[in-house]
Amino acid sequence: MPDEQDHVLRLGSRSFGPGEFAVMAIVNRTPDSFFDRGATFATEAAYEAIDRAVAEGADLVDIGGVKAGYGEPVSEDEELRRTVDFVAGIRERHPGLVISVDTYRSGVARRVGAAGANLINDTWAGSDPAMPAAAAEVGAGLVCSHVGGLTPRTDPHRMAYGDVVADVIATTTRLAERAVAEGVRRDGILIDPTHDFGKNTWQSLELTRRLEELTATGWPVLVAVSNKDFIGETLDLPPGRRGNGTLAALSVSAWLGARVFRVHDVPAARQALDLIAVLRGSAEPAGTRRSLA
Amino acid sequence: MPIVSAAACPHPPLLVPAVAGGAAAELDVLRAACLSAIDQLADADSLLIVGSGPATGTQYESSAGGSFGPYGAPQVTVGTGEPVLPLSLTMGSWLLSQSKAAGLPSRMVTVATDEPVEGCLALGQELAAGNERKALLVMGDGSARRSEHSPVHLHPRAEIFDSTVAAALDLADTATLAALDPDLAGELKAAGRAPWQVLAGAAGPATFTGNLLYHAAPYGVGYFVAAWSA
Repeated sequence: MPDEQDHVLRLGSRSFGPGEFAVMAIVNRTPDSFFDRGATFATEAAYEAIDRAVAEGADLVDIGGVKAGYGEPVSEDEELRRTVDFVAGIRERHPGLVISVDTYRSGVARRVGAAGANLINDTWAGSDPAMPAAAAEVGAGLVCSHVGGLTPRTDPHRMAYGDVVADVIATTTRLAERAVAEGVRRDGILIDPTHDFGKNTWQSLELTRRLEELTATGWPVLVAVSNKDFIGETLDLPPGRRGNGTLAALSVSAWLGARVFRVHDVPAARQALDLIAVLRGSAEPAGTRRSLA
Repeated sequence: MPIVSAAACPHPPLLVPAVAGGAAAELDVLRAACLSAIDQLADADSLLIVGSGPATGTQYESSAGGSFGPYGAPQVTVGTGEPVLPLSLTMGSWLLSQSKAAGLPSRMVTVATDEPVEGCLALGQELAAGNERKALLVMGDGSARRSEHSPVHLHPRAEIFDSTVAAALDLADTATLAALDPDLAGELKAAGRAPWQVLAGAAGPATFTGNLLYHAAPYGVGYFVAAWSA
């Protein structure tokens, strides 16, 4: 459990206190990601997506240079080509924006960190043992994930857990403590149950239902449920039609204490989270005139 | 005395309706084929279930516990007590309990997924020994690399490997089963290789009549159902 007293998450120039929800916009520099199918592979389209996300209320952007699932091999050189200059360009355009990069390679983490990235989203759960040291070296925060021991870019086959929530807590908090030991700032570390990765739909639903057990660890929790298969399988809907289900899962996660939300649809998430913040008592309504005049 | 009959079935958790949820009906045909194959074992004196596990030769009584909880359906269990059975034997026990062979005295035994051929054949011979008229229920899956949407991505040799297995199960061709290459099966993520070779060992030189009841890969993993009789 983090020993810092205030439980404030500090990334780049931003601080997010407990009860404050941060929206992380997904911007892929890939030609083949499952949801956007290459919409922001081209540089200009990607910059426009960043500008739009910021205007719509994103606090962080998460840049990915490699499709998460199985696909064409992407070399480290190619991943660097897709991410490093782009991160530097975003930093120039948006000096205060928190930039996260989704990568499982420590070599990429070092270079994007030097180019201005504030957070390394290590979705493949420390598959590269040099990752925490790389994040520490560039002063970046780190997302500690759970994939049930899968190797990068593979799909789950009959993943079995005695208790999936306990497994996620054990893995992510171990990675978080290891990150601290290797010099990553305690207040820059997040844990992520990583829905769908190494999990069947029942297991991702269980994690959503019992998310409070993760938030109770004291580590800030990031959730990435946006348009995922567990929502699609639950509602029998293809990737393009999971927006409402995504908001429901996101809202429950927020209610149970998650703090950072990785999403495709920024305005929808922002609106839902702003309402939940008021419901939880950590924010005030914008204005309350009804029946009060 | 060799075995007198055998059935081969797959063991995807999805076969259990409570695990598949609304998708359960998609596997109605496969479930029915499994039960039909196992029903044909009912006139043996006793039955052995063979399935992959962490080690070779771990034996369980028919009452050993198993659960589909680790896959999302804790309400579906077999046997009694703490769940100790690997998935393959949990599924075998679950299927057997619904079949006409449910009343036979039975035991279960594991074979390691990477057990060398000789070890599989020897285990089969050992299981078949004695004067009882034994039946074998062999749990095993084909390649998990059959399609672009397979759990592990498409392998160009997966389909021909599975077709070879299907033909061997249909013809009760023990020589072909015994000749399956463990390295290739490992690369293709074909978990059934070792159990099928236990079947080949248990059948020995005797002649069986085979009947392939199911052979498809609806989710990119090869499933086979076959029934053999002496």
